[in-house]
Amino acid sequence: MLVNYPEAAHWQVDPSRQDLVDEMRARPRGPHSHDLQRLLHRMRWTGVGKRHVLITLEPGRRWMLARLPGQRGAPVETFPNRVFTSLVEAEWAVFVMRWEALTGQKLD
Amino acid sequence: MRDTTAVLGYAWPLVVSPGETVSFHLSSPTLDAAHARIVRVRCADPDPDGPGLKLAEPGSAIDGRVALRDQPIHPGSAAIIADRPALNAASLTAGCFIYPTAPLAGAQTVMSRWRADLGQGWRLGLDQAGHLVFEVAGAAGAATIISTRPLLEREWVFVGASYDAASGAITLIQRSLDTLGGRDSSSVTTGQAPAGLAWPADTALVFAAHALEGGADPLTGGHFDGKIDRPRLFREPLSEETLRRACETLAPSPADPALVGAWDFSLEMASDRVRDLSTNRLDGQLRHMPMRAIAGANWDGSVVQWTERPELYGAIHFHSDDMADCGWQPDLTLDVPSDWHSGFYALKLTAREGSDDPVESYVSFFVRAPLGQAKAKLALVATTATFLAYANSALRLDQVHAEAMLEGVIALSRDDVYIQEHRELGLSTYDTHSDGSGWCYSTAKRPILNMRPLGNTFNYVNDTHIIDWLEELGFDHDVITDCDIDRHGAQLLEAYDCVITPSHPEYYSRNMIDAFDAYQRGGGRHIYLGGNGFYWRIAWHPTEPFQMEIRRGMSGLRTWEGEPGENGLSFTGEPSGLWRTHGRPPQRLVGVGFDAQVFTRSYPYEWLEAARDPRVSWLVEGVDLAKPLGDFGLRGGGAAGLEVDRVEPTLGSPPHLLRLATADRLDYGGVPTLEELRTLHRGTMGDQNALVRADIAFFPTAAGGAVFATGSIAWCCALTCNGYDNSVSRVTANVLRRFLDPAPFEGFDD
Repeated sequence: MLVNYPEAAHWQVDPSRQDLVDEMRARPRGPHSHDLQRLLHRMRWTGVGKRHVLITLEPGRRWMLARLPGQRGAPVETFPNRVFTSLVEAEWAVFVMRWEALTGQKLD
Repeated sequence: MRDTTAVLGYAWPLVVSPGETVSFHLSSPTLDAAHARIVRVRCADPDPDGPGLKLAEPGSAIDGRVALRDQPIHPGSAAIIADRPALNAASLTAGCFIYPTAPLAGAQTVMSRWRADLGQGWRLGLDQAGHLVFEVAGAAGAATIISTRPLLEREWVFVGASYDAASGAITLIQRSLDTLGGRDSSSVTTGQAPAGLAWPADTALVFAAHALEGGADPLTGGHFDGKIDRPRLFREPLSEETLRRACETLAPSPADPALVGAWDFSLEMASDRVRDLSTNRLDGQLRHMPMRAIAGANWDGSVVQWTERPELYGAIHFHSDDMADCGWQPDLTLDVPSDWHSGFYALKLTAREGSDDPVESYVSFFVRAPLGQAKAKLALVATTATFLAYANSALRLDQVHAEAMLEGVIALSRDDVYIQEHRELGLSTYDTHSDGSGWCYSTAKRPILNMRPLGNTFNYVNDTHIIDWLEELGFDHDVITDCDIDRHGAQLLEAYDCVITPSHPEYYSRNMIDAFDAYQRGGGRHIYLGGNGFYWRIAWHPTEPFQMEIRRGMSGLRTWEGEPGENGLSFTGEPSGLWRTHGRPPQRLVGVGFDAQVFTRSYPYEWLEAARDPRVSWLVEGVDLAKPLGDFGLRGGGAAGLEVDRVEPTLGSPPHLLRLATADRLDYGGVPTLEELRTLHRGTMGDQNALVRADIAFFPTAAGGAVFATGSIAWCCALTCNGYDNSVSRVTANVLRRFLDPAPFEGFDD
């Protein structure tokens, strides 16, 4: 059986790399530099904790933050107070949470 | 936000001819009624940046209020043998080989004649900790014995249990087939039960579950995840050696008076029947299509196709989440008017209109242009095999790679959120069962949430952009279905001067490939407006409509890998996997074949020198060849994207082919498909590898036939941009007009 292990992404995150944060803030949906691609792969492969996702409230216009439970059949956790009007904004918001989870640093 | 799941349903049959009847099987746990009306789908995509949802209401006899009821789904496969006198012997020995695939998933039953409602009978199974359990119970008392060591996941083990009615002695045998390296979980456990237990009446013998009630067709519970091979049942307590011999042999003696039943799961592989080799003929019925044609405990690698030595494939892989038929009662029945045009149709169900959470749910069906009744020169193929392959995909919910592959945070629809909580709908052939093994069958007797208006933007929804474009530009067309091409072959296609295959015609049976080949060689003209087409080899069930099967094998862009020796289709005995590995690469049929995915963004094509060839001047009329082609689009902002195909002469792109345009600068997001890599090295992504690209190709075939291919899923979602006035639309229209003109293509025989 061929299995993808979530913990397999092990690129080491350097909390001092504010340049990657700045790059992500400037262009959340890319294109991204080589090192930012590595950081995003680390974040996206593992999901960093439970995986944050979006729920489309209005196609192409509004999305709500949510989190997958990591278990089949369990409900998706939703965050009705966190609604985005662009995918760029949502991508950045998820990055901010994952950066904090990986480095302990809160971003503005 | 629209509630798209408060009421769900399926249409049967999925594809219907004008003049025939289609029924709608609906269920809602919360609504008493809904407003129903039939719609003909022109565009199923609500994207505000595109043409928007476009649904015509032809008016039908069933439009109006429909009362709703809750019709539950009972997933989990099993083999059920209705009660017979032979099953009711006082003593018994039961045995088989098992291969548990989720031994810690909860209590499971392997073989049983057990009534859960009475708590009586006998059952051989697993407890919550993965230990083998044998339980006997009757009015006179009960006993349970549990093996001392838990079963190992995905290891074959011989199991057996016996009850001696005279003494009440019970025995439980667990014998690992591989005893090395810590894999030996063998044990023999004995115990004492009341003598002379009386078994409950009217109780089915069940494999991979137990009955929750009496009768020949009971609801079942305690579903087993794993393989069961060569189950045997005797009316006497037998020694381990005797039982083992009886399970090992492929030809148990029918004359053995102690033999109650000996089942050979390698017989009638495509059917839902299991056959008993004993004189009692205790044949059984399979429920919910467990996986057949899988390697048994005796499979030794000497063959990899079950047809070569079926006796090595006498196992069935049952899943606790198998689901093939909801079994819902119909709520509405429509006699499709004989003058209705073919097309994508749906039953639209609305409720709670005007509230904050209005219900708007669709149940899709297709009205075909029947064989011999073409009404247009052009046909669009509805790719139902692809729709079924992706039906209720939970890939983005379950699979680790999804967010990395899609290059961004995952946006779920309300349908996705529903599927996360309601796995009883049955998943897609992209998904894994709860035990981690792949789904290889897909059926249409269930709600399919991503094959309907407002569904996720892939396949069905994308294909409707072509319908919208055809209608906007006034191209009269019929809709035919791929399953009818499988059934009728080239004669269905030959009624049309031109046939369009849409955004992602990925799943093809042999007869579908052959029919297109014959059509193209016979003068037919084929426009392939998609990417990653003609890729996987599938089969349709030989008798049951709208059931497809895929075995993923060990090559190709696969979200699960086929297990060794299990790449043969149970439906037909054909090998499955990529058409590329069966001598029929897509390049040979349509000039281009799948080479890469790109989900970061989509790209424009650049025109190549061949586009200036005077033999194809009609194709580029009104198009500025100095400008990029398709630097716009609803999927990633370009016409070349998502999944892309390229020309490759070594895989069969024909010598006369003109490679007209290419998008070969797909940057780091362009990821080559696995079968494109010979060895492992860096530099294979689109930023460094010109083989990661989308090509546009044209070639004449024979007898005036021709093929035009765009090699990109994103193409069709660029057709409607700028009010349908754009270069992608113009090129497609140029090709379509020329392909509908019977004049032959000159100058290619030099």
